Amino acid sequence: MVVEGEKIDQSKEWVELNIGPQHPSTHGVLRLRVKLDGETVKEVEPIIGYLHRNAEKLCEMDYYCDSLIYFDRMDYVGAMNMELGYLEAAEKVLGIPPPERAQWIRVIMAELNRIAAHLVWAGAFGLDLGMLTPFFYCFIEREKILRIFTAVSGSRQQTNYMSIGGVYQDIDDQIIYDIDQFTEEFPKKLEEIFNTFVKNDIFISRNKGVGILEPEVAIEYGVTGPMLRASGVEYDVRKAEPYLVYDKLNFDIPVSFKKDNLARFLVRFEEMRQSIRIIKQAIKKIPDGPYFNPKAKKSLMIRLRGEGEAYARTESSKGEFGVYIVADGSVKPYRVHVRSPAMRNLSVLPYLAKDVMIADLFSISGTTDLVFGEVDR
Amino acid sequence: MLVEIIEETKGKDGRRNLKVAKENLVELIKDLKSKGYDHLSLITGIDRKDRLEVVYHLHNMKKNEYIVVRTETMDERMPSISSLYAAANWEEREQYDMLGIVFEGHPNLKRLFLPESWVGHPLRKNYDLSKVQYINMDEDGNDYATFDPGDGW
Amino acid sequence: MAEVKSGEGGALTTTVDQAMEWARSNSLWPLTFGLACCAIEMMAIQASNLDISRFGSEIFRNSPRQSDLMIVSGTVTKKMAPRLRRIYDEMPYPKYVIAMGVCVIQGGPYHLGYSVVLGVDRVVPVDVYVPGCPPTPEALTYGIMLLQKKIRNEAER
Repeated sequence: MVVEGEKIDQSKEWVELNIGPQHPSTHGVLRLRVKLDGETVKEVEPIIGYLHRNAEKLCEMDYYCDSLIYFDRMDYVGAMNMELGYLEAAEKVLGIPPPERAQWIRVIMAELNRIAAHLVWAGAFGLDLGMLTPFFYCFIEREKILRIFTAVSGSRQQTNYMSIGGVYQDIDDQIIYDIDQFTEEFPKKLEEIFNTFVKNDIFISRNKGVGILEPEVAIEYGVTGPMLRASGVEYDVRKAEPYLVYDKLNFDIPVSFKKDNLARFLVRFEEMRQSIRIIKQAIKKIPDGPYFNPKAKKSLMIRLRGEGEAYARTESSKGEFGVYIVADGSVKPYRVHVRSPAMRNLSVLPYLAKDVMIADLFSISGTTDLVFGEVDR
Repeated sequence: MLVEIIEETKGKDGRRNLKVAKENLVELIKDLKSKGYDHLSLITGIDRKDRLEVVYHLHNMKKNEYIVVRTETMDERMPSISSLYAAANWEEREQYDMLGIVFEGHPNLKRLFLPESWVGHPLRKNYDLSKVQYINMDEDGNDYATFDPGDGW
Repeated sequence: MAEVKSGEGGALTTTVDQAMEWARSNSLWPLTFGLACCAIEMMAIQASNLDISRFGSEIFRNSPRQSDLMIVSGTVTKKMAPRLRRIYDEMPYPKYVIAMGVCVIQGGPYHLGYSVVLGVDRVVPVDVYVPGCPPTPEALTYGIMLLQKKIRNEAER
């Protein structure tokens, strides 16, 4: 079944509205060309490319280890997840698997960053709907995660922490203690943030029943991640094709069958709770040992040669993040292509925003969780 | 399989690679879709200097199986599969933008990231980065590309 | 207020210019102009940990007509540059620009590519450059303080 936007009557004169690229509710540089009938949206045409930073071209021009920085800056609120996605593919091509301890560290960092990314989303989503309070709460909690990132990598957001064959440096007992403290305190704060949203009647009535996404349509458009799970499809790459050590961890996939904006909101909050569960298990189980593969010594890094081709997929905070690397035996990749989950989630917006009120357009585009570094690359 | 498979290989990631001729592509993908490969994960164009290779990653959500369909074109033209998968619409536009692969039968084959008047396709191996192009906006808010540094940024 | 002297009767004497500059420097209203990664750090200075209201920039205005500071946060692509210029032209005088991050200063990690403007100073005049990739919120706060200093000294020039 192919779903196509019903063509509207072009002979009639619709009110055309241009939204963006500079607009407070477009999460960056999205431009929407909207055709309106009164206050009802008849047609939406997203125009993207305002943050097209030629990352794929630059990856072809750089060594395997250097390309990591472009991935850091793709989904800039979830840098660890992006690094992980790239390294999963690059390590297959280079034939350098990370040791056991590095895999556990990667899981902890990826899950911490998933929480941070969802917190930024929650804060920005609140701002879209005119709620200022949750934004402050979310950023206080996010700051605690960034403090942990600063301790392990030296940088707050664009961490560049994971490297080929392991991680950049080991985590010590102090950092494990900090993470432990965070997992103890965070669930209470999360409920506080959660309540600032759901105890607000206006928030509920603006999101309940708005932006219904049927599961068949979602799969058709390639929507993944929390958006797909909110449509009732139980699909998560961490369970479907476990990478790193996710098969040794115990966690659930949150699924909602309500398919609307509120469902997507609830799924993301439940994901944060599950991430805390994963981190709690991981810091107990983390083994001792080397934190990087000796084959990938830092002085040898630029001499690594890739062979063959690999497609690796990971579950980022937006959905299934895939990296496809084609190597030709030289020190630089021949072709790097990224499957951007946010771009797929955006491509379904014309379907979702059909015949809704213009105010709902932004609550819908808010729940798709757009990050433009990743959409445009 | 209904159509002739030229070559079957296995990638480094353990996924099945099927190589087919360009003419059989739509038929094969239609067949795969009816067998449950309902999720089009990725379309990648690769510039092999003398030819263009297009790789389709198809995914069966229920059985969780991946299959990779590869095909080649000598004349920059490919049949479009946007009538089979809605996700192919933007993917094919992106590959057209970056590599100049013309997908025949696509309903709206425009560039996705760069303006229409941009010269060349950046991910081609022979794309000359030293010829700098600039972009400016006309009065209607549409972009156009230019080689004149005085006209755009 | 460097030049303001207190008179004999307890009255303050100053020039109108200096008083205006002082007032202006302490009520900078930035425009929400988030482009890329740095925008998240720009949001962070607005949040509770580093409350920018302490420096008079309490409200991020969404309309360029109501703001007098543009923090260009994140990579400026060639496609975005004409829009950036138009938004800058829409802002009322006096207006200031802070270039946040290396992408904005000279192209950053993307300077070898084809679609990134090599420095926002080719598009709009820049007052303060804040380097970093991305700069920490503290660095941006320092940048805003430097801008305030610059505004206060404008009357003397």
